[in-house]
Amino acid sequence: MPTIKLHPHCSSPAKATATDSTPNNPLPTLLQTPSGLALLELQGTINVPSSGNEDEDSMMDSTSTNNDLASTFETPIGKLMFPDYSIHNPDDTRWMKRAYLYVGRYQRMTGEVKKLPRPIAVLRKRRGSEEEELEVVEIVRYKIFFKSRPEPVTNV
Amino acid sequence: MSTQAAPSILFTHTNPQDGFRLLELSPELEELLTSKDAPVLELKSPSTALAQAVLDPAAQDYVNLCTPTQTYRIRQVQSSNSLHILRPSHAEISQADIKVVTEDEDPLSLPSEAVTAIAKCSSTLELHIPPGGFSAVPFLEKSLRLYDPRADDGDVAMEAESAPLDAKRVREMRERLWRDIPVSEKQCASGWMEVCGFVDSGEEIACWRPSARARLRVWKRVVEGSVLQGIDLEKQFLVRDLWRAVLDEDDEVEVPFPRALLEAVVRRICVEEERVDLRDEIKWASFDRVECTQWVGETYLAATAPISSSAIGRSEFLRGWKDCLPESWRAEAALSKLKNGCYSSPDPTTIFFVEPSQRQQASKTSSAPATAAKAKNTRNWHELLKGSR
Repeated sequence: MPTIKLHPHCSSPAKATATDSTPNNPLPTLLQTPSGLALLELQGTINVPSSGNEDEDSMMDSTSTNNDLASTFETPIGKLMFPDYSIHNPDDTRWMKRAYLYVGRYQRMTGEVKKLPRPIAVLRKRRGSEEEELEVVEIVRYKIFFKSRPEPVTNV
Repeated sequence: MSTQAAPSILFTHTNPQDGFRLLELSPELEELLTSKDAPVLELKSPSTALAQAVLDPAAQDYVNLCTPTQTYRIRQVQSSNSLHILRPSHAEISQADIKVVTEDEDPLSLPSEAVTAIAKCSSTLELHIPPGGFSAVPFLEKSLRLYDPRADDGDVAMEAESAPLDAKRVREMRERLWRDIPVSEKQCASGWMEVCGFVDSGEEIACWRPSARARLRVWKRVVEGSVLQGIDLEKQFLVRDLWRAVLDEDDEVEVPFPRALLEAVVRRICVEEERVDLRDEIKWASFDRVECTQWVGETYLAATAPISSSAIGRSEFLRGWKDCLPESWRAEAALSKLKNGCYSSPDPTTIFFVEPSQRQQASKTSSAPATAAKAKNTRNWHELLKGSR
């Protein structure tokens, strides 16, 4: 198929991944998007112990047909903090200069919130369509950016 | 420590991860996508056959993003940083697990809300428009059938007038062909107009492009017919009247060429404001003397001296060109009126035609290798979206 459609909007705006109720978005208002998606950039990667099935790709394929939410699980990594942010003063953007990401209990990364030079569209394969089609799930304009390596902390 | 006062958000990682792609938007694209009735965009790559026929010096495999009017080349840019996509989460994880992140003695320090990383992207898709932009013409030249009846004299090849195709069918044929051409619909339409593409049901229904010789023949008949019927080509005329003028008066059954071809040529050379959408019938038209003369000159040269080995004398060319024009236009024909680069001269007295693709290549080659190294794309979207569910 030489042509693949890219739909400007999501086929299911009420997030298909959300269960009964959509969780409250804890991020600063500036980072909140209608779908709730946000971007976080890290130097390096997060290593997470993989589940029983080692080969992630083959697992994707086997679970791709059923939308069994029970098979998804979350692994805690750490905490995200915007120390200077106050919900009472959302127009003041000075808080953007500082953000912390604690990894586990004893490591911390210092970063900031940056406006993207160009907005980024988050694309996904459209669900439930027979042909291969893509859709724009969200347009994101900011990212949380941690460019430095983690430093040790003791007083969390 | 002051940071203790700020609310902290639990950060988790979701397994299995979702599949997403990140596409960097240009301001125009952002505006288009956020507009109220945003159009469906298309990711187009040429069919394998077309990709082999029309080589792009800047990329081997590529995907173009097409809006209704614009085309962008997609370039996949790898990053050493990882970009995670987050979403709010209920974070239904056990207290024991949370101990990993915080000390449980103090229940207040437990983050009450959470975000979770649902996908990781190590590359983003960036868009760019190469210098010179995109054109459908090289693809149309390879995918349209060449209409080139072997007849230098208009009276030889007569064919029966085929039943006119209905507009819907014509449109379907045209648009099916465009699907394999990796540029926007508007650029497909303008390329189609440029090459005088037409759909005809001669032996079988097909999309055609006339050779320079065939186009020249149409033009000559147009000039003859307009003189005989007193049609002033510079003033608005009915295309229907022009078709009647082109037909032999005494011969109603046989036509010199398909009517669709005449209409395609009229669309190509009529003044720009009269160019109607390809979906609409062209009813009225008029020609601009200067533009039309230029087109005729180029077409005449392409028909008589298409390559350097068939170069003809300049004066011979000018004479032939003038002979193709209506009497009152003859003074317009001059070498300086031809489009820049459309001809070349092996020596000061001769001249031959340079194909449009050759002209562009001369100006393109300098910048091509630089972009080639960066542009690494694949049209295999199965591969790119492997992780998505």
